[in-house]
Amino acid sequence: MRFRSLTAFTLGAALLAGPAGPAKRPAWRLPIEVKTLPNGLTVVVSEDHSLPTVGVSVVYRVGMRLEPKGRTGFAHLFEHMMFQGTPVAPKGVFDRVIQGGGGLNNGSTRYDYTNYIESAPVSALEPILWLEADRLKALDFSPQNLKNQQEVVKEEIRVNVKNQPYGTFWLDLPAAAYTRWENNHDGYGSFEDLDHADLKDVQAFHGSYYTPSNAVLGIAGDVKPAEVFALVEKYFGHIPGKPKPALPDLKEPLNTAEIRLVKTDALARVPAVAVGWKMPARGSKDHAPAAVLAELLIGGDASRIYLGLVKGKALLLNASGGLNFPLGGAWDYDGQTLFSLFSLYKPNADADKVLAALDEIIAAVATQGVTPAELERTKTKMVADFYSGLEIPLSRADSLAKAQALWGSAAHLNEIPRLIEGVTVDDLKRVAATYLTRPNRTVIDYHTAAAKP
Amino acid sequence: MTPTRHALTLLLTVSALPLAAAAAEVPLPKDLPPYGADRAIPALNITQRTLPNGLAVWLVNRPGFPKVSAYLAVRGGNAHDAADRQGITGFMAGLLNEGTATRTSQQIAEELQTIGGELGAFASADAVFVQGSCLSTGLPTLINLLADVTRHPNFPEKEVELAKANTLQGLLAQEAQPAFKANRAFNTAIFGDHPYRFTSIAPQVVKATTPESLRALHAARFQPNQAVLVISGDLQEAATLKLITAALGDWKVTGEALKPLKEAPATAAHQFLLLPRPGSVQSTLRVGRPALSATHPDYIPMQLANTILGGSFGSRIVKNIREDKGYTYSPGARAAGMQVGGSYQVRADVRTEVTAASLMEIFYEMDRMGTTPVGEAELQSAKRYMGGTYLFQNQMLRALTGTLATYWVNGQKPEALSEFIPKVNAVKAEEVRRIGRTYFASKDQTVVVVGDEAKAKAELEQFGPVQILKN
Repeated sequence: MRFRSLTAFTLGAALLAGPAGPAKRPAWRLPIEVKTLPNGLTVVVSEDHSLPTVGVSVVYRVGMRLEPKGRTGFAHLFEHMMFQGTPVAPKGVFDRVIQGGGGLNNGSTRYDYTNYIESAPVSALEPILWLEADRLKALDFSPQNLKNQQEVVKEEIRVNVKNQPYGTFWLDLPAAAYTRWENNHDGYGSFEDLDHADLKDVQAFHGSYYTPSNAVLGIAGDVKPAEVFALVEKYFGHIPGKPKPALPDLKEPLNTAEIRLVKTDALARVPAVAVGWKMPARGSKDHAPAAVLAELLIGGDASRIYLGLVKGKALLLNASGGLNFPLGGAWDYDGQTLFSLFSLYKPNADADKVLAALDEIIAAVATQGVTPAELERTKTKMVADFYSGLEIPLSRADSLAKAQALWGSAAHLNEIPRLIEGVTVDDLKRVAATYLTRPNRTVIDYHTAAAKP
Repeated sequence: MTPTRHALTLLLTVSALPLAAAAAEVPLPKDLPPYGADRAIPALNITQRTLPNGLAVWLVNRPGFPKVSAYLAVRGGNAHDAADRQGITGFMAGLLNEGTATRTSQQIAEELQTIGGELGAFASADAVFVQGSCLSTGLPTLINLLADVTRHPNFPEKEVELAKANTLQGLLAQEAQPAFKANRAFNTAIFGDHPYRFTSIAPQVVKATTPESLRALHAARFQPNQAVLVISGDLQEAATLKLITAALGDWKVTGEALKPLKEAPATAAHQFLLLPRPGSVQSTLRVGRPALSATHPDYIPMQLANTILGGSFGSRIVKNIREDKGYTYSPGARAAGMQVGGSYQVRADVRTEVTAASLMEIFYEMDRMGTTPVGEAELQSAKRYMGGTYLFQNQMLRALTGTLATYWVNGQKPEALSEFIPKVNAVKAEEVRRIGRTYFASKDQTVVVVGDEAKAKAELEQFGPVQILKN
């Protein structure tokens, strides 16, 4: 977590005891207090005094989807620029102050948001808030820093994509599955576009999207809400408000004809397959069922795809996937998303065999449903994993800020266990039949460069 | 002195100027508020018991979050395997949750789901770790499952065959990863014939494995007097001890004592090794040497020195080759301490044409640690960073539990946890310089590069003769 990155960033995750839930699933709730300043900045606080630490997350409601055309990769490059200093705190100060306070920091760019996170002993909270407010006001728009980070980002793409086998499946799937440029372009960026980015772009992006009304500040840990609200007022209150930038509706209908591509990967030694289905919108009636269905299908060693294809037919070497995988989880997306899976397959397999076996598994759920016992234990595992995602102050601050930014309600985070509880067998059948269809499917078959014997 | 060495010295002199200038850091903004007063870290109460059969039990009650984490560690890891079967312990560990005398792999997986749990095992060089977690309400079930896979795995024929096929295919897939290839070449180069050289099981060892050989290995290694069970989270000590005694109290000592490992080497040759990887667009660099065991008196000072040199985002190497030069995205460094030895390693993936330039800067920063004393501000910052990150990691139940189990394997007491930060804070600047001089001098490091053969070779030859590796 030392390095600002675009790729998946996960953390393990204390909550307050709440009302009793169903047997065997303890119900836990985070204490949540929310306040919006006159300039539009929303602050979410969750207190827990078990250890003298604090987590901070600032979520801006802009991601790869809203970067300018002809500037692929710009939202991420901009995220890097947020660490390159300001007119008041030149490059180096940010890291020096946070590290000197015993803290860690990072940032990541996603389709619909960009987040900036810090975790530190609570003694460092005030300087951290000062630094976050400072970079919301203005950046040091210097050509040297831009050039430096253009190089660093290109190295990031080399190490994560160009020098890796199947380094690009999470870029390849959206590129093939979606029709709108905002959804299907390369969010890591072409080197040509990255090189063409200039300071005007940086300035314009900051001016449009890095405004108090487009940001949520989450703070969790050894703090009292009233004290935090006063500090935030002190450091952010005087930043001028601007209207919240408009959010275009970028949803797409389900696909009506299967999309299938073969890619030959020069670096790979073992073939692989990536499959994605377009999925329901966040907060729709099909959202929670889709999340439970994804868990039931590929959530671990007791999931149907693992038991059927890694064990059972032994076609796959491994099976990883999920709703909004791999750049996020089931609850932190807003625009279009996919249920994706990625697997290396074995010498006895080919993509057709894998797809036929997947279809069989999906058809079984869509037509016969699942037993109440299987649904119950799947829900238990999901609730346990949801709690794990809130174990430490940093992940609470980040999850709360994302819930406020994406759902419009931080308090909604506490509702997620209830959404999971509410899913029925009929919901699973409906969602499997509606979304996990062949016409709505995108498949990329990765072959190794050496032809099969 | 070779011409290469000369070129290196020359470049060091040149690059020292801007950095020396940069060392005088800009003053902090005048309005920046100061840090607040540090708050005390609550004491960690660890209950320690030893069952009559020798099993050590450490329990940490940490209420407030509805989960528990468990680690059972058994001494004897991949380094204790016969030279021609190395890695068999890790392979065996991977099969512990794939079937017991009374449960199939699927039954284990489904029972775990009912408690929101997970359970798996892996081997380090020194030990096998059986690791699990679940909702705190499921702790009785977790303890029973953990005891079952630890004591009664039966290595079913079908599961062993599947694991063999998947491991063989996984080994092939691994060969595509530059980081894997670099680590293997590095470990082989620095540890010579010591078993810490192990990186990955060989295909022929996988092929020769049978359910019987795994059962025999399990019976020989898994002994209660060679094991610790650590459980942390929302638990009650007395009730948990009762559950543990019921599940593991009648586990008997039957095998032979584990043969101790010989000390790992303390030094390795200064050499430049290139492992060609056709199609590489970067050079994957490893610069390092054999170093310290986890209990060596220099281990904690070395961790501090490493934080300054390359082990943190604000470290010298990251500032130099990333934030100043833009050569790389992900530079880093790590001091890894094991039971009878360890390693030190600086790593970076850099675009091929700056391979030599990057190495030059890494060498410069390594040598500077031994020649110039670290300033007070930088030293204090590194100490606070280490204190903060240690607190950060041990907020997480799984990390806390794993740290404690590893302490036990290394022969340390749980008190080592609360002694860590005070020991870091006691290190003086002069000690950091001694660590730099003793361990970081560039003339003592082994260099491994995975990358484009022709281009990377030309880059490396600026330093001395280059040996081309096969794997």
